[in-house]
Amino acid sequence: MDREQKKNELIGFLRTIQRPDYPDNEIDEDSSLIESGLIDSLALLQIVTYLEQAYDIDFREIGIDPGELRSVGSILNLIARELKS
Amino acid sequence: MFVDLQVGDLTEPLTGRSWKSQEAMAQIFQRVELYGNQGIRRSDRVFLFNGNNLEFFADLLALWYVGACAVPIDGRLTPFEIENLIKTVRPRFAFVDSTLDSATMTALLVHGVSPLDIRAHHRDGVRSSKNYAPGEEARLDDEALMLFTSGSTGTPKGVVHTYRSLRARWMALRQCLGVESYHRTLCLLPTHFGHGLICNSLFPWLSDQHLFIAPPFSTDILMQLGRLIDEHEISFLSSVPSMWALALKMSKPPQANTLRRIHCGSAPLSAYLWRQIQDWAGIKEVYNAYGITETGSWVAGTTVGEFEPEDGLVGLPWGAVIKILRSAETVALFDNNAPCRADEIGYVWINTPALMQGYFNQPELTDQAVSSGWFLTGDMGLIDERGWFYLKGREREEINKGGTKIYPTDVDAVVEKFEYAQSVCTFAIADPLYGQNVAMAVVLKRQDAQAIQALHRWMKEHLADFKMPQRWYVVDSLPQNSRGKISRQSVQEMCAGLPPLDLPALLRSPS
Repeated sequence: MDREQKKNELIGFLRTIQRPDYPDNEIDEDSSLIESGLIDSLALLQIVTYLEQAYDIDFREIGIDPGELRSVGSILNLIARELKS
Repeated sequence: MFVDLQVGDLTEPLTGRSWKSQEAMAQIFQRVELYGNQGIRRSDRVFLFNGNNLEFFADLLALWYVGACAVPIDGRLTPFEIENLIKTVRPRFAFVDSTLDSATMTALLVHGVSPLDIRAHHRDGVRSSKNYAPGEEARLDDEALMLFTSGSTGTPKGVVHTYRSLRARWMALRQCLGVESYHRTLCLLPTHFGHGLICNSLFPWLSDQHLFIAPPFSTDILMQLGRLIDEHEISFLSSVPSMWALALKMSKPPQANTLRRIHCGSAPLSAYLWRQIQDWAGIKEVYNAYGITETGSWVAGTTVGEFEPEDGLVGLPWGAVIKILRSAETVALFDNNAPCRADEIGYVWINTPALMQGYFNQPELTDQAVSSGWFLTGDMGLIDERGWFYLKGREREEINKGGTKIYPTDVDAVVEKFEYAQSVCTFAIADPLYGQNVAMAVVLKRQDAQAIQALHRWMKEHLADFKMPQRWYVVDSLPQNSRGKISRQSVQEMCAGLPPLDLPALLRSPS
């Protein structure tokens, strides 16, 4: 699966957990997921669960830098790094 | 009355700001002088808007020095809810800063509350003293602290603690728990909350231990909890189950072996999560701490020696007597047949010198809850043959969303005022992260998309975000009991078989 496919899948997932009153705008790679109002901070747990299940990433092993879940782009970079290692 | 309490050091681990205890006392006395000059006197009620920082604790103790009553306010409340509290409490002053929104500031001014911003009055060079003693103005049974637990949209329920009840709580905890394990305490809980303020923060800090105070509900902190514990050599922290669920998933465990004790409370702790916390923290001393704002928070916990985590296990009382009675009626207190046998489930009653003075301006409500010094908790429990206390459920009408209590009547009160609402019933639903979450069934005079969108906007304006129902059911009628009263349990059962509204789709449809 290339980056574009992973991005589409990730955005599809984010749509299922976004705030109910978030407008139907495009989600770009660089905007902060929380600051833009797309999700609240506790939804990060759902993103972590998604990454664990979709990409078999164990965050207790690697730890999480909060910045790595900040945006679509940073999450894709995290996925790429963990799949390589 | 606080003369044998000593303030410890204070640190904000995220910003790095820190006061040694002498600096903390200097800050307190600066404020005592300032607030005295501004006219704050004994028995004045003062709103505190900004918690979980160094300044909050200095403000709090300065208020107690002059004998005033501190009222910490939940920053997540809407201006509508805060105005309701202002009208109920009628504080003379409010401690604010530049982050306070204009709508709340207007509400303060309209109701004659004087806002004070300490940063605008900062002065240098005052005396300092490690020992803290309130001024002669305070009396042991004066109001010291008021914490609102519900009713922000209707009739606010304010739990009032006196200097006597607070001191009793801290003295009892010192005797039951000692202070050694708390020498470097981390508080991740909000300071407008009994658990976070009275016990997690003030108990260790006023016992001359070092308090590390962090912003509440911060996922950034939870993601790095293990590293934070190591970096600051934390020996103790307390939290709620939902925060642990996050930390266990997202944070590497601490490595430095500084933790001595952990408490977990304010919501049911499953044996499974309990063991996970023990494994993650690397210690067995993880206590399920049972407490209620009315009893000064922690009133029992697992100081039982060797134990295995069990669902419902709490342990032994801390500065209290716990009775399990077959009835919630006050006459049961004097009925020799009322006490339950060992292992028999009944109503949990508590007697403690740390009991609140009462609910602010609600004597009837206080009388329903307190009789002859005994407090009816609303919980169900049992005491086993060993004398160990177990929690077995709750009779109180509240939704426990990860430790935060949400009262269905608060949500109902807002919806009822909406122009198209005919009737409403808010109820609890199970939630994998929070334990419980909020759902709502509503009967509307108009059920089209525009009306529902308008209701959503109305609720967002009047209700704090965390109280917003996650699931909506728009129905034609609500089941009532034989007295014509809506039965929450029946509504819950009815909705279990119905599809909820697709709220996201509906809110995105054209209005």
